[in-house]
Amino acid sequence: MSPLEALALLFLLGTGVLVVTLRNAIHAALALIANFLVLAGLYVALDARFLGFIQIIVYAGAIVVLFLFVIMLLFAAQGEVGFDPLVRSKPLALLLALGVAGVLLSGLWGLRLAFTQNLEGGLPQALGPLLYGDWLLVLLAVGFLLMAATVVAVALVQPTRPLDALRPEERKEEKEVVR
Amino acid sequence: MNYPLDPYWVVALKALLVVIGLLTAFAFMTLIERRLLARFQIRLGPNRVGPSGLLQPVADAIKSIFKEDLVVEKADRVLFVLAPLIGVVFALLAFGAIPFGPPGSFFGYQPWVLNLDLGLLYLFAVSEMAIYGIFLAGWASGSKYSLLGSLRSSASLISYELGLGIALLAPVLLVGSLNLQDIVNWQKENGWLFLYAFPAFLVYAIAALAEAARTPFDLPEAEQELVGGYHTEYSSIKWALFQMTEYIHFITASALIPTLFLGGWTMPFLEVPYLWMFLKIAFFLFLFIWIRATWFRLRYDQLLRFGWGFLFPVALVWFLITALVVALGLPRSYLLYLSALSFLVLLAGLFYSPKPVRKGGGA
Repeated sequence: MSPLEALALLFLLGTGVLVVTLRNAIHAALALIANFLVLAGLYVALDARFLGFIQIIVYAGAIVVLFLFVIMLLFAAQGEVGFDPLVRSKPLALLLALGVAGVLLSGLWGLRLAFTQNLEGGLPQALGPLLYGDWLLVLLAVGFLLMAATVVAVALVQPTRPLDALRPEERKEEKEVVR
Repeated sequence: MNYPLDPYWVVALKALLVVIGLLTAFAFMTLIERRLLARFQIRLGPNRVGPSGLLQPVADAIKSIFKEDLVVEKADRVLFVLAPLIGVVFALLAFGAIPFGPPGSFFGYQPWVLNLDLGLLYLFAVSEMAIYGIFLAGWASGSKYSLLGSLRSSASLISYELGLGIALLAPVLLVGSLNLQDIVNWQKENGWLFLYAFPAFLVYAIAALAEAARTPFDLPEAEQELVGGYHTEYSSIKWALFQMTEYIHFITASALIPTLFLGGWTMPFLEVPYLWMFLKIAFFLFLFIWIRATWFRLRYDQLLRFGWGFLFPVALVWFLITALVVALGLPRSYLLYLSALSFLVLLAGLFYSPKPVRKGGGA
């Protein structure tokens, strides 16, 4: 492992730990941005340039901005977030994290990365035919999965009564305003 | 596809030149803008410091450095200082990718700082990260007006980023490369891209105006509603840094529009490396100041509806048309006719649009 690789690993782990441990949600989101930037740099260093830039644009740019939106609009950025929604869930979380790590490691075990295609440093000209040719079905499946998740999220927050239906006391106020 | 590389010291020198150039341009753009606005509004503008006000930027700089630098009590101290710095850094980063002439025209070296195969993606990444400067400034100030300003600006920036990105897909499909040098060279050989993609050009220009938060879209700092927007609590040099960020975005946008759609440094006649690029930049700077002098500020919901309901679909439809032409191997001249037709449609729409009706009969 070269010194630069070690430094990148250190940054990745350090910012990752900060994301989980920082008390203020906004600071945690900033640490997440730093983490994504280091990861993007790592991708570029590994000659996956397109992936690196997409990592910055989609994750560090758009998605974390959405996170910050939610944090600000819910006023969740106070020093202490208040209560613990799942009591005594820390051991369970540890178990879950170890389990995920185990699954990922077992996937890496015996994985041989042999490049049969020349990706030209991960340029879109080389990636495009692969993504929309050989792996089209996989791409469509991932897209379908994301869409299903969106539809489910919208269905879950469907209000039980229509948003424009007013409660009786509100209806009275409405009339006064109209007059 | 392959461009010569410079030694590192030359690249560093050019980066320094770009930064110094941008800072000087920022200082004098403030003067030029104030003088031009004054001219549009039939008054004089700043004309007391130095000959016809030329030293006004120096006076402004000295004043803003020596003013008292306040940090409000409720501010998040680290982020409060960090936010303007993030803004300025990411604003400065974008300009280096823009080519100013053919290879070897900078005293035998290359007239650009960065030459990336993914130049357009780089520009996107940088401009998206620049949002955080505004966003953090609004939050770290610990003030309602600042927070509202930054929420507004990030919502509008994210919405217009989409239109911007999809408008750029059409030229990228035609050129077949994301490299800015390739895009300029393609235009040199085949004619400027706005001839092939007039709707994309229009959408890109409007969205770039919104990205730079210039007047029809300058809601983040709407004085009548939000005091000063995201920089309400900032004073002295930190406030000046925000002004700097804004003007650098403005200059970069006026340099990118000609690079992508109007042939960059090329010209069908009289090929001089730097001249045309600077003239085109100056033209767009003037145009945007003109728009600021004559246009009114949009309401927030109008702004978002325009972004999502008009710019986004237009960009998408034009992208699909270009994709069809490229995929089916049709002659490119179809695109020329279609974009000329879209220009005529725009003209007809402007000509036949109904006059604004004043509701309620008030003055």
